[in-house]
Amino acid sequence: MSLTLVVLCGVLVSAGVYLLLHRSLTRIVLGVGMLGNAVNVLLFATGGKNGSAPILRPDGTVEQPVSDPLPQALMLTAIVIGFALISFLCALAWRSWTLDGNDIVEDDVEDRRLAQAGSVDPASTPWERP
Amino acid sequence: MNAVVPLPIVLPIVGAALSLLAWRRQRIQRAISAVALLAALGSAVTVLASVVADEAPIAVRIGGSAPVIGIVLVADRLSALLLIVAVAMLAVVLVYAVGQRTPDERSRAYHPAYLVLTAGVAGAFLAGDLFHLFVAVEVLLIASYVLLMLEGSNAQVRAGTTYVVINILESMLLLAAIGLVFAATGTVSMALLPERIAALDSGVRWGLNGMLFVAFGLKAAVFPLFSWLPDSYPTAPSPVTAVFAGLLTKIGVYALVRTETLLFPGEQEVLLLVVAALTMIVGVLGALAQGDMKRILSFHIVSQIGYMVLGIGIGTPAALAATVFFIVHQIPVKTSLFLVEGIVERETGTSRLAEVGGLLHRSGWLAVLFGVSALSLAGVPPLSGFVGKLGIVEAAASDGQWMMLAVALAVSLLTLVSMVKIWVGLFWGEVMPVPPADRARGLLRRTPVMAGATIVAVGFGVAIAVVSGPLYRLCADIGAELLDPSAYIRAVTG
Amino acid sequence: MAYGAVTFVMLVVLLAHLVAAALLWTIGSRLGSRVSAVVAGAPMVGSFAWLLTARPGDAPVTSSWRWIDALGLEFVLRLDGLGWLLALLVSGVGALVVVYASGYLHGEPAVPRFLGTLVAFAGAMLGLVVADEVLTLFLFWELTSVTSFLLIGHGDRDAAVRTAATRALLVTGAGGLALLGGLVVLAQDAGTARISELAAAGPTGALGVGAALAVLAGALTKSAQVPFHFWLPGAMQAPTPVSAYLHSATMVKAGVILLVRFAPFLAALGPWRGVVVAAGVASMLLGGVRALTETDAKLALAHGTVSQLGLLVILAGLGVPSLTYAAVAMLLAHALFKAPLFLVVGIVDHATGTRDLRRLGGLRRELPVVAALAALAAASMAALPPLAGFVAKEKALDALSLDGPGAAGAVALVGVVAGSVLTVAYTARWWWSVFAGAPRSDLHVHAPGPSLVLPVAALAIGGLAMGVAAGPVGSLVADATAIDASLHLWPGANLALGLSLIAVLAGVALFVVVRRRPLRPAPAWVPRGDAVYERTYGGLLAGARRIAGIVQPGSLPAYLGIVFVTVVAVVVAAVALGARPGDLPVRLADGPAEVVIAACVAVQAVVVLRVRRRFAGAVVLGGVGYGLALLFALQGAPDLAVTQFLVETLTLVSLLLVLRHLPDRFEPAPSWAPGVVRVAVALATGAVVATLLWFAGTNRSGPSPAPEYLEASLPLGGGRNVVNVTLVDFRGADTLGEITVLGIAAVGVGNLVRAARRAQRRAEPATLGVTTAWSSVIVDLTARLLFPVVLLVSIVIAFRGHNAPGGGFAGGLIAGSAFVIRYLAEGRTFAKARARLAPTTMIGVGLLLSALTALAPIAAGNEYFTSTIVSLDVPLIGQVKLVSSALFDLGVYALVTGVVLMILNELGSDSQRLVPRRVGRPR
Repeated sequence: MSLTLVVLCGVLVSAGVYLLLHRSLTRIVLGVGMLGNAVNVLLFATGGKNGSAPILRPDGTVEQPVSDPLPQALMLTAIVIGFALISFLCALAWRSWTLDGNDIVEDDVEDRRLAQAGSVDPASTPWERP
Repeated sequence: MNAVVPLPIVLPIVGAALSLLAWRRQRIQRAISAVALLAALGSAVTVLASVVADEAPIAVRIGGSAPVIGIVLVADRLSALLLIVAVAMLAVVLVYAVGQRTPDERSRAYHPAYLVLTAGVAGAFLAGDLFHLFVAVEVLLIASYVLLMLEGSNAQVRAGTTYVVINILESMLLLAAIGLVFAATGTVSMALLPERIAALDSGVRWGLNGMLFVAFGLKAAVFPLFSWLPDSYPTAPSPVTAVFAGLLTKIGVYALVRTETLLFPGEQEVLLLVVAALTMIVGVLGALAQGDMKRILSFHIVSQIGYMVLGIGIGTPAALAATVFFIVHQIPVKTSLFLVEGIVERETGTSRLAEVGGLLHRSGWLAVLFGVSALSLAGVPPLSGFVGKLGIVEAAASDGQWMMLAVALAVSLLTLVSMVKIWVGLFWGEVMPVPPADRARGLLRRTPVMAGATIVAVGFGVAIAVVSGPLYRLCADIGAELLDPSAYIRAVTG
Repeated sequence: MAYGAVTFVMLVVLLAHLVAAALLWTIGSRLGSRVSAVVAGAPMVGSFAWLLTARPGDAPVTSSWRWIDALGLEFVLRLDGLGWLLALLVSGVGALVVVYASGYLHGEPAVPRFLGTLVAFAGAMLGLVVADEVLTLFLFWELTSVTSFLLIGHGDRDAAVRTAATRALLVTGAGGLALLGGLVVLAQDAGTARISELAAAGPTGALGVGAALAVLAGALTKSAQVPFHFWLPGAMQAPTPVSAYLHSATMVKAGVILLVRFAPFLAALGPWRGVVVAAGVASMLLGGVRALTETDAKLALAHGTVSQLGLLVILAGLGVPSLTYAAVAMLLAHALFKAPLFLVVGIVDHATGTRDLRRLGGLRRELPVVAALAALAAASMAALPPLAGFVAKEKALDALSLDGPGAAGAVALVGVVAGSVLTVAYTARWWWSVFAGAPRSDLHVHAPGPSLVLPVAALAIGGLAMGVAAGPVGSLVADATAIDASLHLWPGANLALGLSLIAVLAGVALFVVVRRRPLRPAPAWVPRGDAVYERTYGGLLAGARRIAGIVQPGSLPAYLGIVFVTVVAVVVAAVALGARPGDLPVRLADGPAEVVIAACVAVQAVVVLRVRRRFAGAVVLGGVGYGLALLFALQGAPDLAVTQFLVETLTLVSLLLVLRHLPDRFEPAPSWAPGVVRVAVALATGAVVATLLWFAGTNRSGPSPAPEYLEASLPLGGGRNVVNVTLVDFRGADTLGEITVLGIAAVGVGNLVRAARRAQRRAEPATLGVTTAWSSVIVDLTARLLFPVVLLVSIVIAFRGHNAPGGGFAGGLIAGSAFVIRYLAEGRTFAKARARLAPTTMIGVGLLLSALTALAPIAAGNEYFTSTIVSLDVPLIGQVKLVSSALFDLGVYALVTGVVLMILNELGSDSQRLVPRRVGRPR
């Protein structure tokens, strides 16, 4: 367990979280990318002490100490999935820009209407009073 | 039999691939989807039959390798049962969507995405490996993103963004949680984990459990992680919402069931009970505040999830049996409610109760379809919802959870309130003006395919009530099986 | 599975009701109202006729059908004396009401559906009186509530009707749920769900008391007792036949029937008797007073019903045999006088068009027969001999005065007498104001048809018969309740008779007084149940809205914030519960390089937070990614390094392609929370994740499977690059899922971008000119030279992957990047031109190939994803090893290339003119 990686993971998580807490979809995309990196570091750190690449010599042996191949396999999958998510988010950001002229994530209209509506909202209860 | 287990996952993927190749030919796409779904359903049924017959889970080792290194797909009674219900509903909704003739289903991306969604759902139920569960969830999520924004209309993008971002965060959390589990145990195989998790000291165990709980809880939309759901579901195209409502949250619940029984048995009881109660109450109150049918139903998804979590929290075999039955009953009932809503919206152009009315005088059948599902949701006997509610209530009573019993009953009353509210809003009151062209034929006659699909969905829910005797026996077995995972573990490692 | 032939027929009868209801609901509209009436009446008449022949002996017959063993749920019918008597009542009155309704509603719309619901209710009520299992009882109990809701709501176009129906359903529904809770607990406590066996295992203790009170709550709501009484007058919005049938003769009696069945073994528990008497007496008096002041003929009767139900609840609820006996007798009598009175109101309403007691009067001339029948029924209600009401009331007073249990009994007796005074008074007032006095010239009366009068006659004369034939009827009731008691037309001069006399005289006196100076309606300060309900309900909705406003702010950052806070809370809790770092060694770092790179990466991460320009943000993020790639490269993860590097590049490109459309700087967005909060949340989250990682990693409870992988790689996977073998073989399912994600994501990207473009075309047609990006001869030339080379490299990488760093994924990305280079050089024209085979096709082919390769082994009887390894000697080249998973990798290669092309084609669609429809600040 390498403390450096642990700390790095923490830093990246913080950065990602901070970016996610914005309304600008672009910042959110950056945040997702950052979190993706953070999680990769997390997985990488679980591999224990890293050594040579887990690639066998032709004679089937491998130079010790060798890195744990399983986290690497998991990370490869994770990296690709992260890429898929980000490119979808990019398209989403663009689409939202062509709609609004900005990439701001706005509040839900219905929720706002409800929050502002008084205690009696005829629209929601068409039958309450005679 | 091992050959059959992966089919519900792979066949839809093959179908999706073919569907992409048939990019510009919608008829072919539809045919492919139908065939793939039916094939998947067929194999799911076969699987359930065999696991029930030889009373042992089936474990399929990817690449024929040992579970220590390879992925294992596990089909036990629980996963097989849920798989059948899920795929059946997916098939019904597909027909409905085709019948609806909206731009959504017209979109060439619809069928590939829909099949991929199916594959993801199947994968999630069959995964015997925590990381593969993550991958399967990703598969169904990415498909759901695409489906949610087929049109890319303003409303869809606005609400879709919330959904996408929240669920991407959920993916990250889940991945992190799995990474942590691996860090602590050195494996991601769900059969090897119980032993190694038990070996951890309680604090770390609690932390890992908590992380997984947050990740899956976010997917299942439990309190306080549910707020995204009622904002994003209502804007999706109706056939899509129906699937989401019926299925996606239930995947989260399924994962919670596995986590809390297989990996961390009986660890979180208090927390689960509190979360369950709050989910039920806040969800149902939220529903009361709404004036739009889709939103009301969306909030009820949340509050019904509470019942399932309650069952997990009580954690007795009876309670788990009730939870399983509840899931099985919820999938078709919720789906059919949204399908009815789709018909209403197609007919009236809105789902706001204040703007609709008098439908009873135009289509008694529609009233029946809604009434049956709504009463079932509100737990009125003899419908399936009553059986589920009764199961939970009896489990709570025999476990001495009086508080929870009271909450469960109170919430079901409030559920009745908002079902009545929808009924009164939609079916009673002044009849809305009908365009003369439509007066000739009945409301449902004008949308035969949608109506047919809805009738099948509602019928499915009623059928659950009819066969509730044997079905509940199966659920009881599952409840016992969940609390004694030795069979599961033996199937994988042995 | 026990069968009694009799109860089997009972089941058939119930089903007949169901079928009739279904028929009327579905095809009723084609039958017309007359035929519908026949369809609706048939099952009721049938069951009445059958019941007459099927009077059970001393041994009641039971049939049970298993429903859900796992829940101890069975469907049990038991036809005992009481059930038989009540069933007779339900079917008989039901049949008469259908006859009446067919005349009353003639020519109105939706009559068939109305009758369908009515017959459904009749079935439910029948089931309720013969149910012998608590949940069977509950089933029918709920069905009566639902059908009652639909019947009240028949005139649904009127808002008042909708409110009344809802109110009735919610009040009785609430009671129903209390009942369910009580019954479940009782059943579990007693170990049996059979009502007939519950009595044996009398519940005890706090649990028993709680359950008992819950059951009582169910009874009181259903029988409209104070404080739940208000729904019943409201329910008078229903058509008169419904009021007569449900809300006087049958459904409202369900609570009383429940008490008759349960009170004998629950009455002794805790405050039961006190509650019963309090509610009963209050209802008697309140209902009586309201009936005396009410000006609407129907509502006056409704309040009278509340009052009468009060009496019944007292009698049935005290759980004393003689009182129970009186209760059953009174129940019959009440059905026989209250139902006809309601029907009479209907007739009057039909004949005159009003129900206002102030406008009515003198109708005895126009409607002599009706007046006479009404008088008969009214006299019975006022408990005058020789009518049913008198006989039953005598029995009630007699039993109360003799065996009234303790103080409760005494209070009850006084209350009943007082109530009787009121009853006499309001009965007299009601009949007088309708039929006596001078005829009103302004009323145009037209005579009712026989279908309206005959049912009234039948019931009223029935009341007379029950009075005259008190003896036989009494023994009938005695058999029914298995209680040794009797009814007498002339009980002899006893206390009860004296009390009746007092009641009658005082009642008449009160009536005379009220005639002189009518009572004013209760002043505003008197608490009214419906007002309380309205306030509760309104409060509930208001509270719900407030809560919804809090938990549902509708703001995405807020939702994300909640999630992060939850995560922090969870980990903090874990630490509080004793999560500590384990004893595995913790190194500062694996070598200095790691520290340096980590530091750089961290710095860049922080920089991203500070940048104000979109491009800068994207680029620096890329820097973070490249840094990690370097880290992986140095730490024995070449495959990771390669993939990370390529993915990062592609991410950067697609980000830049999108960002070029967006404004250069972030626009200031309305902040949802002060920056300090955001920073705090961010730091806390990072801290807890790092902490948990540290704890988890140092607490490892099992060995890593690395050795197994190294062993299995060659023999099972036929490859030396363990990571790659894992991806295409042991964990191939992950890879299949992963590329599926990638493929569909690309499809989704295309979908969204096309949507954007469609919107544009709609806005301003044909503006999508294609201009080449900043190309120049040199760039162009190098690109052209590079292109084939890179493609070749990509293929090599893809296929050596099994034994060396690389693999289909890396290869695909490189192939894609070859296109990137050309793309950057020549703009989208190229990408379009070269993409002969459409990206979707490549994705499809790749996905298909991979999926089939995964499936193929199954055909050979192997497990999914098993590799087949063929090694053959090729001259000159020597021994070549072919592994089936290479095909899988080929699929990956094709798909990934397709994905890259798709993303570039779509995101790269050149669109300087692609301006938003509304450029503007966020609202």
